[in-house]
Parts: sequence; structure tokens; C-alpha cells
Amino acid sequence: MPSSIRLTSRAPAPFVIAALAAASVAAATAAAEPLPRVASINLCADQHLLALADPEQILTVSWLAADPEESLMASEARHYTLNYGTVEELLKFAPDVVLAGTYTAPFTRTLLRRLGYRVVELEPEASVADIERNVRLVAEIVGQAARGEQLVAKLREDVRAIEAHRPAQTLAAVIVRPGGFTVGAGSLANELLTLAGFTNVVAERGLDRWGSLSMEALLRSAPDVIVLTGYRSTQPSLANAVLEHPALKGLDATRRTVTVHTALWACGVPRSIEAAALLQRAANP
Amino acid sequence: MSEPARSGSTSALVIGLALLTLVAAAASLIIGRDGGGPTFGFGGPALAETIVREIRLPRTLLALLVGGTLGLCGAALQGLLRNPLAEPGLLGASSGAAFGAVLVFYFGFAGASSLLLPAGAVGGSLLALAALYALAGRRGDFLTIVLAGIAINALAAALTSLALNFAPSPYAALEILFWMLGSLADRSLAHVYLAVPLMVPGWLLVAAAARGLDALTLGEDTAFSLGFDPKRTQALVIGGTALAVGGAVAVTGVVGFVGLVVPHLLRRSVGQHPSRLLLPSFLGGALLTTLADVAIRLLPPGPELKLGVVTALLGAPFFLHLVMRNPERAA
Repeated sequence: MPSSIRLTSRAPAPFVIAALAAASVAAATAAAEPLPRVASINLCADQHLLALADPEQILTVSWLAADPEESLMASEARHYTLNYGTVEELLKFAPDVVLAGTYTAPFTRTLLRRLGYRVVELEPEASVADIERNVRLVAEIVGQAARGEQLVAKLREDVRAIEAHRPAQTLAAVIVRPGGFTVGAGSLANELLTLAGFTNVVAERGLDRWGSLSMEALLRSAPDVIVLTGYRSTQPSLANAVLEHPALKGLDATRRTVTVHTALWACGVPRSIEAAALLQRAANP
Repeated sequence: MSEPARSGSTSALVIGLALLTLVAAAASLIIGRDGGGPTFGFGGPALAETIVREIRLPRTLLALLVGGTLGLCGAALQGLLRNPLAEPGLLGASSGAAFGAVLVFYFGFAGASSLLLPAGAVGGSLLALAALYALAGRRGDFLTIVLAGIAINALAAALTSLALNFAPSPYAALEILFWMLGSLADRSLAHVYLAVPLMVPGWLLVAAAARGLDALTLGEDTAFSLGFDPKRTQALVIGGTALAVGGAVAVTGVVGFVGLVVPHLLRRSVGQHPSRLLLPSFLGGALLTTLADVAIRLLPPGPELKLGVVTALLGAPFFLHLVMRNPERAA
């Protein structure tokens, strides 16, 4: 030990100053707030958190995040404790912040706030702008603003690439979901469809957000392309069953379908833009 | 409740039920649940107080209060309508309350813990019961009441669904699950404080009808000649049920079948006097609901099952059994 003291004391002045400066920077960093540790109980918030936070900041994500049918980050999510969104299982993590959705688990959110936890609600993403907003919001919460800006910049680049590859001729598309449902204006799927250079027939006809789509309405909308989504990959036959309805025999679009994995646009994350790329590839085979 | 239990067997039943209810409540305080399934104990010294006081205590209290309400009101309605199939859930009182609460909540009249929410629930419940009574109550025959109840129930559920579809929040439709299949998860003491001021007066009104209900078993005319105005008894039971069930539904959603099963199981032990059935049914309802809610926490890992699902799983086969058995008994 004495030798090391002598070494330091014998060091040239500039080195000592540099070392002191480095030490004070390190001290300042250590004195600064440690990065917040976060629990998430919402599938969309889970995915933003997994993309933005350091692993040691992530305490737990919801069980849906680990389901590859619902989540784009299922393999990442499996490294963490999964929760089912009840207060009791969150308490033992003592999170600095709990991420939740605006429209889900109202009682859980109320009780967490009552117990003094900071609960941040993420609005669902219905547009690319909403994706940017939520990426920045989560990045700020976890203290990773630079990472957030990187993701936003990459997303904007991807959007420009999509815009540059729009098909020469605008195609009319209709989204078919299980149970005879479709997607209209005011939704992320609609925005991505439009961005890719399609028109959403039902949105043109004034359908807002989600609505039902009867066989008859599908026929009358006369789409060029049918976009299938929401079907689980384990049950592809169900999607085909819809298209095999005898009434649709004359509809060319039944032979021009694109399947978009639900997880790609159920939550708005930067990777959702891949749905638009997928649509474009189907339009220009 | 207002009438002291006359026979020794009734007081023994009440004491037994009360003890079992205490045991169930203790289990409800000790057993929790996390991502890995049930947990036992209080989750470590640092958390114990918070978990017990802020999570499990409100949940246990609500199970007792809501279950007691359903048992009591089920017994009173069965007495009033002289019909063993009467129950707040089947007769539309609960779904009427859910409709009232949904109207108030989703159309911006109130936050989740404002007093207007239970007021809406009470209003809806009252409306459903009054409609039932106006349509079928006077004739009192078995089939008419149940059919009218089913129709009112379906109408209230359809209106709730309609209201949620038109609600300004795009995700409100998802919450139909909450209103139609009740749950006690993550409620706080604030919800207890919200429900109790409605439940307690409701119980008292129903209890005040006890002797009138006994008199009614002899028929309306005899009841009248004995000095019990049947109209007063009806008003007490319907008003009390609307208040208590409205308060319950406003914080937990619809929990079905408890009010059907419990009085029925206990009737054998206390005989045909509706008044003697009230207190045991209150305790039995509290016991059954608490046990069902504990059972939910004991299930293998996975998202928590709704309380209404469990009570329906237990109650629906029982209801079928009653329907199959009843024609000859009611005749």
C-alpha cells in the first residue's frame, strides 16, 4: 500500500489533475440519481420498456409480453419475471415507476397510486406520431433519452423509405379480422396501410376505428387486396375459411391476400413499420 | 335479523356459519397470489402491513359484505316472491345496477370513485326490480316471474353492452368483462367506504321486512288481516335490495348465483319462515363468496379468474338442478 501512495504522489501534475477531474466526474455520476427501476403491466408498455431500458432497470413485464403471438419481444421478455398485473405481485419489486395502459386495469392503477407508487399511463398508439410520443415518453422515464431519439430517428428513416416505395397505382385494401371485424380510420393499421400507398376501403366509407365487416360489405367494398390479421398462427385454416365462402368466388382479391402478424401492429412500436413494408412487397411482387 | 332465532338449531347454524366465515376471512387475509400462483403468508416484514391492510383486507371485507348482501337479498326476494328461483342476479337487479353504473361512469358524469357511480347503480337496480314487480310480481306465479326476470336481465345486459359500444372511450367495450363478471381484485378501502353507506341501510330495510315476509307466506289477504301491509313489505324488500345490491355492483360488478344457492341450501335447516332464513343467508353468502375468492387465488399460475366466473361455475349447475326438480314441488 505505501508504494502505491508514493506512486500517486510522484505522478506528474497534469496526470493528477486529469485523475482528479475523472474522479469528480465519476463522483458526480454516482451522486446522480440511479436509473429508475420499472415494472410494466401493459403489453405495449412492455415492448417499449424492453427496447429502451437497460436490463437491470426492468423488474417485471406482463405475461403477454412473452407470448410470441401477441408480442414482438417475446424472447427478450422471457428473461424477466412475468406478472399478471395485480398489485400484490408488483409490490415485492418496489418499482420506482409502474407503466400501464390508459384503458386497462383501472382498479390496479388506482390502488397503486393510493399506495404511493408512480404510475405512468401510455395512451394506445393509433399513428406513427403516437409511436414517437410513447417511445420518447418511456425513454424519458427510464432515463435513456438518447436511446429514444435513436429509435425515433430510425423510425423516421424507415417511414421515408416506405414513402419512397409506394406502388405506382393506389390499391384498395380491406382488413379482415377474425369474427367478421375490420379496422377503419383512427387506427395504427389504417395509417400504416395508407403510408404503404393503399386506400382502406372501409375508412373511405367513414368507418371509425373498429367495426364489423359482413360478407356482403366485403363483397361490395370490392377491394384489390385483402389484408388478413388477428388470426393466430396456430389456426391459419380459420382465415382461409373466411375466404372460401362461396359468395366471394368472384372476388379477385381473395387470390391477392397479405397476412400481417397481429403482434406487428397490435401495439405501436418502431418495428410496426415492418407491416407497411410487408404490404408493399405484396403489392409489387 | 330483527327477529331472534327461535329454535336452537337456527342459533347453532348461525354460530357455525359465523365461525366458518371467520376462518374463511382469515384464509383470505393469509393467502395471496402472484405470477407463480398462490402465495401463503404476508410477503416479508417490509411489505406485510401494506399487503394485508391495503390489498387483502379490502378484498376480504368486500367479499364478506358483497356476499352477505347477495345472500340476504336472495333470501328476502325468494320470500317476497314466494319463489325459490328468485335471486338478484337472475331477476335483473344486478345487471340493472351494472347498466346504471356504466351510464354514469362512461358518459363522463363521474370518476371511478365518485358517489354518483353507486347512485347510478342503485337507480338501475331499482328500475329493474320495479319493472319486474310491475310485470310479474303481483301474479306471483313461478314461471311468469322467472321469465320476466330473464327478460329484464337480458335487456339490462344488452343495454350495458350497447352503452359501452357508444362510450366515448374506444376501449370501454373491453370493460364489459368487468361489469358482467364481477371481481374483487385490487380493490381498496376507498371502495369499501363507497359501498358500505349503501349496503347497511339496504340490509336494515330488508331486515325490517322480516315479519312481513313471514306473514306473506300465508297469502296477501291473511298478511293484511294480521296487520302487515304487503305493499310495505314489498317496498322494504325491493328498496333494500336495490340499495344493497346497487352498492355491491358499483364496486365489484355482477357476481351471480350466490343469492340463489345460499338461501336454498340453508332453507332445509331453518324451515319455511323467511325471517329465520335472513341472517343465516347473510352469513352463508359471505362465507361462499369469500371461499370462492380464496379459491381463485389457489388456482395454478395464470391470469386471475373473475369471481363471477367461479360463482357461475358453482351456481349454474345448481340452478339447473333446481329447475329440473321444481315443477312438481311448485305445483
